[in-house]
Amino acid sequence: MKKFAILLLGLILVLAGCGAKNNSGSTSTKTIKVGTTTSEVPTWNLIQKLAKKKNINIKIVRFDDYVQPNLALSDGEIDINAFQTVVYFDDFIKQRNLKLSAIGTTNIWPMGIYSKRYKKVSEVKDGDQVVIPKDPTNLGRALLLLQKAGLITTKKGFTGKGGLENVASNPKHLKITAVDAAQTPRGLDDSALAVINCDMAINAGLNPTNDSIFREDAGNKAYINIIAARTKDKNDKTLKEIVNIYHSKEVSDFIKKHYKGAAVPVNKPVSYLKDYKQTQ
Amino acid sequence: MAFDWSWFWPQFFTAMGQTLYMVAVSLLISIIIGIPVGVILVITRENGIWENKWIFNILNVIINIFRSIPFIILVVAIIPFTRWVVGTAIGTTAAIVPLVLYTAFYIGRLIESSLLEVDKGTIELAQSMGATNWQIIWRFLLPEAKASMVLNLTIATIGLIGASAMAGAVGAGGIGDLAITYGYNQFQTGVMIVTVITLVIFTQLVQTLGNFLSKKIRRK
Repeated sequence: MKKFAILLLGLILVLAGCGAKNNSGSTSTKTIKVGTTTSEVPTWNLIQKLAKKKNINIKIVRFDDYVQPNLALSDGEIDINAFQTVVYFDDFIKQRNLKLSAIGTTNIWPMGIYSKRYKKVSEVKDGDQVVIPKDPTNLGRALLLLQKAGLITTKKGFTGKGGLENVASNPKHLKITAVDAAQTPRGLDDSALAVINCDMAINAGLNPTNDSIFREDAGNKAYINIIAARTKDKNDKTLKEIVNIYHSKEVSDFIKKHYKGAAVPVNKPVSYLKDYKQTQ
Repeated sequence: MAFDWSWFWPQFFTAMGQTLYMVAVSLLISIIIGIPVGVILVITRENGIWENKWIFNILNVIINIFRSIPFIILVVAIIPFTRWVVGTAIGTTAAIVPLVLYTAFYIGRLIESSLLEVDKGTIELAQSMGATNWQIIWRFLLPEAKASMVLNLTIATIGLIGASAMAGAVGAGGIGDLAITYGYNQFQTGVMIVTVITLVIFTQLVQTLGNFLSKKIRRK
């Protein structure tokens, strides 16, 4: 893998060199590798097109999980990544002691409670089964959402970190089962409620606006997605330019249209996220 | 935030129960399906005692299909079937259905290889004594291959323990799932160590038992 990365890097340098020669006179073309996940690829395809006009060559690297993109960024195999919420990111870099920084906001994908059986949260019956995603950020987020919907309460001071041990009271004796995030939409036929991440819901053909019976509101700062870079590159001009492109009207309009309201663009400076811990 | 170990231990024993339940039930059903599958593969193949090209080839393809599907995809692909069999596709019992399909055909292959080790001369001798096919299977083929079958079933059991960790995807729980959820995803190194050591001990016990049984059979 390392050898391959070096080879790739060499190739990129050669290509970049060629690019520079062809554009003699203007600024040289920079190649930036962006790590992202499947659901965000359409947005990045557009950004790639827009960036080309500014002599930035974006290469999209698609990941299938939420751990590797950060490790690859830290190892220098990619230059930025865009797939994660700020709360997940902060927790991850703290746990692994990585020197990464958020350089811009992207969007928020509000999590929802879905049901085939009920139209309202108040119809939920005693002992009903609820499936929620099991990965740490989403599990905590799902518990907070269930709390907001009035179905459970969580322990005092719970900020979305940790697992089912943080449930303080469960008056309806809901059977909460944590499953793989991709299994939550599939669980709709077997359980009364399913807490589903926005992107998963879309992938499963659900409409987050119409099919959910309860939704997170978009002002939930902790779950705003970010673009991350290595801390030493956080003031890099090219990277800042990419953030600007992400915040352009063209990209925002595309997100609104393409994701049909499931992803809501958030075009704020990183400093906007500073106080997210209080808004949880 | 320090990890709450007082919460962990009850969770650990529940998970242990879930793993034992999943592995024991899946193994039992897989053996009941897998041994006949292995026998049919051996007797219907070319020069087998009940040669039948059609049955052999169809079964061969079916086994290869099930063996090539990644476990998590198998779990999802058979959701309607799982629901039909156990009434739900979520939870520990629901995980048994894909685990059985995954393991039964694997056992079928392993039994096949054990039976193929049986000396052809033994079968010919049985035939010359006028034994029926049924008698050949029960009195010669299976007894001759018993020691090797036990070792191969040990391999299958350990594979099953590994697969049961992935069943956590559908909320099945279990030790492997605890390791992934808290150890891997939540970076609780302590949990990871405890659960992984448990799995290692579990595997060692199964292998030791398998070796012991196989040796005992061989000595007879």
